[in-house]
Amino acid sequence: MLIALVAVLHVFVSHFAVGGGFFLVVTEGLARRQNDAALLSYCRRHSMFFALLTLVFGAISGVGIWFTIGLVSPEATSTLIHTFVWAWAIEWVFFFVEIAAAIIYAKSWDSLPARDHMIIGWIYFVAAWMSLFVINGILTFMLTPGRWLETQNFWDGMFNPTFLPSLVARTAVSFILAGIFGYITLPSGEERERVARWAAMWMMGGALVLPLSLWWYFSRIPLFSQLYMNGVLTGVRHAVRGGVGFTLLALAIALVCGIWKPRWMRPPVVALLVVCGLGMIGAGEYLREFVRKPWVINQVVYANDVRAAQVQELQQKGVRQTANFLLSEDSEGLAYGKNLFQLQCGSCHAESGYRGMRRRAEGWDAAFAADILQHINVLRGTMPPYAGDERDRKALGLYLASLNSAWKFNVTDANRLEIGEKVFASRCGHCHTVNGNFRPLRGAFEKATPSQVQEVFPALGAISSNMPEFNAPDDQAQALAFYISHEANLPITHTAAPADMPTGSNHSRLLLPVEPRQEVR
Amino acid sequence: MQTLPIPHVDPLPLPGPVWLFTALLLVVFTLHVAAMNSALGGALWTLWNYLRGRHAKHPHSRRLANELAHLLPTFLAFTVTLGVAALLFVQVLFGNFLYTSSILIGALWLAVIPLVMVAYYGFYYFSYTAERGKGIAGCVLAVSVCVLLGIAFIFVNNMTLMLSPGRWLAMYRAHPNGWNLNLGDHSVIPRYLHHINGAVALFSSLLTFLGMRKMKTSAEYGRWLVQRAALVFAACTGLQFLLGMWLLLAIPREIAMVLLRDPLSGAVFGLSLVSVISAMLLILLGSLAEKPGPLVYAGFGMSLVTLFLMVCMRYLLRLAYLKPYANLGALAVRPQIGVIVIFLLLFVGGLATVGYMLWLVARGARARVSAMAPY
Repeated sequence: MLIALVAVLHVFVSHFAVGGGFFLVVTEGLARRQNDAALLSYCRRHSMFFALLTLVFGAISGVGIWFTIGLVSPEATSTLIHTFVWAWAIEWVFFFVEIAAAIIYAKSWDSLPARDHMIIGWIYFVAAWMSLFVINGILTFMLTPGRWLETQNFWDGMFNPTFLPSLVARTAVSFILAGIFGYITLPSGEERERVARWAAMWMMGGALVLPLSLWWYFSRIPLFSQLYMNGVLTGVRHAVRGGVGFTLLALAIALVCGIWKPRWMRPPVVALLVVCGLGMIGAGEYLREFVRKPWVINQVVYANDVRAAQVQELQQKGVRQTANFLLSEDSEGLAYGKNLFQLQCGSCHAESGYRGMRRRAEGWDAAFAADILQHINVLRGTMPPYAGDERDRKALGLYLASLNSAWKFNVTDANRLEIGEKVFASRCGHCHTVNGNFRPLRGAFEKATPSQVQEVFPALGAISSNMPEFNAPDDQAQALAFYISHEANLPITHTAAPADMPTGSNHSRLLLPVEPRQEVR
Repeated sequence: MQTLPIPHVDPLPLPGPVWLFTALLLVVFTLHVAAMNSALGGALWTLWNYLRGRHAKHPHSRRLANELAHLLPTFLAFTVTLGVAALLFVQVLFGNFLYTSSILIGALWLAVIPLVMVAYYGFYYFSYTAERGKGIAGCVLAVSVCVLLGIAFIFVNNMTLMLSPGRWLAMYRAHPNGWNLNLGDHSVIPRYLHHINGAVALFSSLLTFLGMRKMKTSAEYGRWLVQRAALVFAACTGLQFLLGMWLLLAIPREIAMVLLRDPLSGAVFGLSLVSVISAMLLILLGSLAEKPGPLVYAGFGMSLVTLFLMVCMRYLLRLAYLKPYANLGALAVRPQIGVIVIFLLLFVGGLATVGYMLWLVARGARARVSAMAPY
């Protein structure tokens, strides 16, 4: 969450820092060629705004990402550092030149001849774009390490399968943002219309390239990432819709208030444009991060900062034998479970709130929670395997069950279906739907009576190694069987599938195979 | 099980030789500290002279505050830029120590980011409003100064905590949410004061250099500046000896012994004493001399040498602290030769580009002066 916040704001400003630099120097060149004093004055004002935003917020928030990833994912950060320290060092050289050029450019409008000032502007843009070029290699590596996994060769990691499409997409985004931010310092008077149209052209230019480059990018990400995009995940669906919506709205504003009626480009409209730009970046970054789950570096480090190579040892020895920082000497009880939660789940889940576990673990008892942890990686595609031994699972299960008070129902004919739905959400809904498209149960229970459904429950653990044992109290089991039988016998309507999950969970309808993932690099 | 909770060394080999990372770390960290000293020392100088210069009888102070006001944002920009490089290289060599201590003081460590932004925008605000000499400009600068002092304190806490794995577990258990400081370490306060006082000293020596440049166009102001800065430099340097002794006494005895017995650190320490004393004498004598130029320039050069030697000393102290836990020589190395060469070429190219831009600026300034000359 923290990374997301820092990263989205940084990406927003830093892409502007690339596109905006190009926008400035090209506009300055235009103004000088055409001897347009008003346009030149706009450039000057815009350059001050540009420097204040990118030098301070852009640069410092970039350092903020350094600070944050070191705190949240030290293992992953260390892997990246050990692989790409020289890439970062090269990026730093460009960053250094970029900062120096930005300061000089903004300060030297009066003191430098036109040609020299333009040279500084071009140096700025080249350095800024090159720093994007280098960072793009490291970012794309995290999802598509490509041949690096076999060779561990720097160049294989750097120029990985999504390097180019991502570079083109990011450059296109930087053009759109250059246009959007160009409106913030929009002049009054005659020059207003000209600048408004000019900035809109930049947005259009970026928008032409963006869809193609994104299509290229998404065609080259791994299969498991592509599957996230199939529209069944609520969060992903919202992000895609939001990203497309914000971008289209921004373009519509650019067409109407930029090109057609520039006088309509008033501060509230500009504010809306900025919000659209932020929405576009937010959605894009959310998707980029999300489709990488359960990894933070594909095949190397999981999202909870456990190295893939460590999992086996952790499962054999247990966390208490391997972790450095345990809150107490206790290695069985609730306190230990809570500690495990902080160590292993805390990078993605809060107790309540962001991806809160209280809501997700409603209705769980300690044994069921401990059991389900074994299957956590097949439960959802977004989860890494549980990295701990049986004792750890029991302690963590104890903790997860303690988040809610135990369910006690008075089941009647009137509420049986409702209670059955709740129990389904708690016990089955994390992996199954009845009629939906996520491991649907209809095929197994169509035409079964509630008692026939209930007969299956005791054998669940034996049906598949991926299924937990069923241990719910009898009244819950009856209600659950009634619910499943009722739902499985409903006539199928096409609009009902994909049905929303009764859990209210964001991520439970993912259509993923139970088999190990086929990786596409 | 390990007796102390030190995270394992990264299984990937180092992508370059340890000596290269060490050299780069020492160089960029020296530059970072020079920029940081200019930002912090400069801000303190500016604040004092801004307040003093509000009275008409101190026109030089007012002028100095106005001149420095324009430089402060740039100093801070380069503090951050150079700091990033230092952070990068220190992670390569000491990542498992630094990540742990950063997590332990995580809440405050993260606060550094918004705090730097506050200080930075404060500097910009001051640079735009200082000349008018009214309103809240002084208060804004004071806030920026306080924020920078706070950031320095957080840094000193983290950089000392990373050296003390023995303190980690108890600290984590006391406050697992990152609300920790390393105040139980007696060396934190003297080390902090040593840094802050050193920042004022180094910036004062830079001011003697700037004063010399000013003497060419405005003799009285330039001389005032050289003399004033030389006095502050000498005073701070004297105080720095006391603070340094306090720091030496505050670090654990066995670590101080490791440091004192090591011939390399002994040599560096001895050289730094020679260089700082010569810097002080040269600058003081220069400020009194008829022609201060050569002495002041030499003194300024020696103060930079002292800074570099102090940075080396700090590094050796870190090695002494971590001696039981870290063996840099044993790290696996697989150098990425091609990329290293490209980096070095680009590094030189980047410096040349910045040099070229500064040359353009200087040429522009010269042209402007000569264009104005007939009037």
